[in-house]
Amino acid sequence: MTAPLLELSDVAKVYSIGGALFGHRLRAVDGISFEVGRDGPEIFAIIGESGSGKTTLARMILNTAQPSAGKILFRGADLAGMRDRLGFMRQVQPIFQNPFEAFNPLKRVDRYLYMTARRFAGAATQAEAGDHADRALRKVGLSLAEIRGRFPHELSGGQLQRVAIARALIASPALIVADEPVSMVDASLRMSIVNLFKTLRDDLGVSIVYITHDLATAYYISDRIVIMRKGRAVEAGPARAILDNPQHPYSIELKNAVLSPDAAARLYGNRPIME
Amino acid sequence: MSEGAAPAPVLTVTALRAYYQTRLFGIDRDVRAVDNVTLHVNANEIYGLAGESSCGKTTLIKTIAGAIRPPLKVQGGSVEFNFHGRRVSLYDKNAPDLADIRWRHLSYIMQGSMSVLNPLRRVRNSFVDFAFRHIHKPMAEFLDTVRAHLLRLHLQPEVLDAYPHELSGGMRQRVAIALATVCRPEFIIADEPTTALDVIVQKGVLTMIREVQREIGSSLIFVTHDMAVHANLCDRLGVMYAGRLVEEGPTAEILREPRHPYTAHLIASLPRIGDVAPKKALEGTPPSLADPPLGCRFHPRCPLAMDICKRENPQMEWVGPVHRVACFAAQPGKRQ
Ligand SMILES: Nc1ncnc2c1ncn2[C@@H]1O[C@H](COP(=O)(O)OP(=O)(O)OP(=O)(O)O)[C@@H](O)[C@H]1O
Ligand SMILES: Nc1ncnc2c1ncn2[C@@H]1O[C@H](COP(=O)(O)OP(=O)(O)O)[C@@H](O)[C@H]1O
Ligand code: SF4
Ligand SMILES: [Mg+2]
Ligand SMILES: [Mg+2]
Repeated sequence: MTAPLLELSDVAKVYSIGGALFGHRLRAVDGISFEVGRDGPEIFAIIGESGSGKTTLARMILNTAQPSAGKILFRGADLAGMRDRLGFMRQVQPIFQNPFEAFNPLKRVDRYLYMTARRFAGAATQAEAGDHADRALRKVGLSLAEIRGRFPHELSGGQLQRVAIARALIASPALIVADEPVSMVDASLRMSIVNLFKTLRDDLGVSIVYITHDLATAYYISDRIVIMRKGRAVEAGPARAILDNPQHPYSIELKNAVLSPDAAARLYGNRPIME
Repeated sequence: MSEGAAPAPVLTVTALRAYYQTRLFGIDRDVRAVDNVTLHVNANEIYGLAGESSCGKTTLIKTIAGAIRPPLKVQGGSVEFNFHGRRVSLYDKNAPDLADIRWRHLSYIMQGSMSVLNPLRRVRNSFVDFAFRHIHKPMAEFLDTVRAHLLRLHLQPEVLDAYPHELSGGMRQRVAIALATVCRPEFIIADEPTTALDVIVQKGVLTMIREVQREIGSSLIFVTHDMAVHANLCDRLGVMYAGRLVEEGPTAEILREPRHPYTAHLIASLPRIGDVAPKKALEGTPPSLADPPLGCRFHPRCPLAMDICKRENPQMEWVGPVHRVACFAAQPGKRQ
């Protein structure tokens, strides 16, 4: 049996908040274990409470933060002892929560793509880098012509997020860690992005850790899911089974809190009311 | 719409145009992100602004909030507030000092909200800096008010001790919302304030916003691409496409019976838990606002497009007492 692509065992992360002096300690991630991609490429969704440790978990998987306890293995190798940093980054690519924070406001966005193409895709010339960039952008419904020379503030949140996804694709990674990749984009763009994730899994064999607050897309694309609250996993398993029939009280509450677009039109005449 | 003594709207936006003036490789061009938008918001009303990513929602909202910075420039039109008889016209010759009305009268929750928080100062200090002088209470009482307000947003009082980078994205977003609402301003402008929240917290935040709005009868412009949020929160809804307002009316009416083909598409494409097959997407992509199509900007993607749509720009016309739409197919007598 081969090792899974990614394996977390009993991972924890402790932060101290508010500075060393007055600070208090917080277990942002508290004993999380799961595997991704044991039986081939898969989309693994992490959903749950705001502040429950999802982004912290993503940072640890990307090896930009280190666990306070527990182990993370990538292709069987412990991230803690990892030497080939560049090789790891080529295989595991991030997409961040807030595209406005992910890009340096003083840097043109196409630079990121050229840089990634040179660094991770072996582009030797500017023209080659441009080709890589354009191909990746087209996969997300943009083109190099549209974003060439633009600064981040010249693009909308949705456009920026698509650039971020395109950038991740250039390296041809085995694993993409996508932290709320669609929270800034509208429903139809959202569908086209998650459909893209499906294609990546099915055609390119990429596994995806998909962190989201959107239960509908989690249901639609994920193979397996974990639901987090206060640093812990409250429920985990096959995505559709869990979302169809959640067992843990928190999961049930979460599912019930999804706003239905139909409610207002049907029930409340001209003045919709939040309950 | 002539009800005689109808109270004056709190906000009146007339023929507003705001363009980004960019210079790229020696070529000047305008990104026409807000092009001829006219709307008003009544007292005690929540006005929702919908539309797909990059259609110009944020730009419109920035212009209304007076948060204009180059290369964004107001090209024409007006934005006028009426705070209990005190008229403030933002783009007049003698435009007012915005600092005068910020926080107390008008507060603006920016998209990606991070920017109001000083990264080097604890959250507590941001509250003191912005809100303390508007609340007229001694410091201890002021902080109690702030803590109580944070709890309504599902935030523990400890966040006051934290630095912004120590909070999760959703926590920061809520801190920004708390900051903008704690002074109970008469007019709140919120740009995608709940996109980074889990659905339970989102519901709490929307309920809080609604409560604050009711308690003081303030008005609100609420921007989101999430139609389900609009459906549950907003009294009236304006739908934007490619820099223009294309439909506006009571939320329930629009959801039940959208008149613009683009609105109809937005509503039909709403994802629901349980979907396993892809929804039908619109053909094509949103137009470039630097070079938008002539005529109706939606015509290259519109299933109902006619000849006239390629030549002429449909104006917003009334199709009901409070329902306007800019589409030839929806305006009786305009078909050809
Ligand atoms: N750099 C940091 N220093 C101290 N505490 C942190 C840091 N980053 C995160 N935290 C804390 O860790 C907890 C988990 O944060 P994290 O960003 O992982 O949440 P999340 O699940 O991604 O939430 P959201 O859905 O709002 O993005 C929070 O309580 C947060 O305050
Ligand atoms: N600072 C800027 N300079 C040039 N163009 C911009 C700038 N900011 C936004 N734009 C462009 O204006 C359009 C509208 O953007 P925005 O108002 O952010 O849309 P939305 O909020 O609806 O997603 C987009 O085409 C975007 O690329
Ligand atoms: S005006 Fe014409 S192109 Fe535009 S939405 Fe109406 S039918 Fe479609
Ligand atoms: Mg997060
Ligand atoms: Mg926006």
